Amino acid sequence: MTDDLLKAATRALREESAEPSADGQFTRARVMASLHQGKVRRRTRLAFILPLAACLAAGTAWGTVTGRLPEAFRALSEAVSPSPKPPAPPPKKAPSPLAAPAPAPVATPVLEETPAEVEPEPAVSAKPAPSASFRDADGDLYRLAHEQHFVNHDYGRALTAWEAYLKAAPGGRLATEARYNRAICLLRLGRDAEARQALEPFAAGKMGYRQNEARELLEEISR
Amino acid sequence: MTSSGLVLSPTAPLEDVSADEQDLALRLAAADPAAVGAVYDQHHRAVRAFASRLVGDAAAAEDLLHEVFVALPRAIRGYRFESSLRTFLISIAVNHARHHVRAASRRRSAMGRLALEPEGNSQDPEQVQRRKELASLLTRALDTLPLEQRVAFVLCEVEERTSREVAEITGVPEGTVRTRLHHAKKKLREELSQEGLG
Repeated sequence: MTDDLLKAATRALREESAEPSADGQFTRARVMASLHQGKVRRRTRLAFILPLAACLAAGTAWGTVTGRLPEAFRALSEAVSPSPKPPAPPPKKAPSPLAAPAPAPVATPVLEETPAEVEPEPAVSAKPAPSASFRDADGDLYRLAHEQHFVNHDYGRALTAWEAYLKAAPGGRLATEARYNRAICLLRLGRDAEARQALEPFAAGKMGYRQNEARELLEEISR
Repeated sequence: MTSSGLVLSPTAPLEDVSADEQDLALRLAAADPAAVGAVYDQHHRAVRAFASRLVGDAAAAEDLLHEVFVALPRAIRGYRFESSLRTFLISIAVNHARHHVRAASRRRSAMGRLALEPEGNSQDPEQVQRRKELASLLTRALDTLPLEQRVAFVLCEVEERTSREVAEITGVPEGTVRTRLHHAKKKLREELSQEGLG
């Protein structure tokens, strides 16, 4: 009896599922769309990965040939590290009259009201030809910081990148600009006390760069 | 080995594989989307029928069908021209079935508990209704089997394939297929008698 029932049920299942489905065309369209999406995803991945891999290979080869691979790697990893670094000490020559009683940092609207020309956008290509002190790796770090600051407007990363550049080339050709841009980043991040400390030497004319803008910014901070 | 990565064995029995199928397989291996469409048009009914019998759920069967054809361009690299393309597609379905069988089985179980089993069309004749009930009964009984036994039963008994063919699809010896079938039938008989229908 059970055997008969099993046979009958088997036949029933066979006949039930032999009937054509109305979903055939829908599933076909789904299949084609899935395959197309897969192809697009693969192409997109390749478009990103290949240039990155090429850059990495070229950079590594260059670093190996010049013997500067460990130094460049360390500086670069510091620049792109997501963990925030403690702020760099102010320049040795910088006076720090306002360093002692720092108010709690608050987001400041100072830069929103500040004229655009206050924040310089040094075009790397417009800079004079690199000297011996402005080596290629430092140039890369400068470009990286410049991009984070003026292109991505990611002031947290830009600050880290400026500090990485200054660490790699403290007396470099663009160190003054880097210090000024670092101060701007501190302002943007609401770290007024540190920004004040960083801007003081510029306002005092000791850096020979952006003295007026630095004074204006310090006045804004003091308000 | 062809440039597309397919393995063309000179000793493989090619009588089951037509020249058209060989051409389609080569185009599939070259990631030609039109080839997937062509294979779908030729074989989707057979694959859907198998999927539906195996998982016992129309929606899950469509999902499995979709997965089989999406996986096809990559899976075709393992095609050895030793069986027909349809048999190869069924073997892909078997390899991808586990998740769908489990999901459909859970759904049936939940619907049974909540008395939400879809009702048959009242306009169907009595015989059609009876057929639906029997198919549903067997599907629920199949849910109690391990996947390997379930596959063996559906392929051998429902689809009436030879044990040699099933061995090809599942990649196990014929003896194993027969053993699985034996255990499957024994368990199904027990399930049906527990339902009080034996």
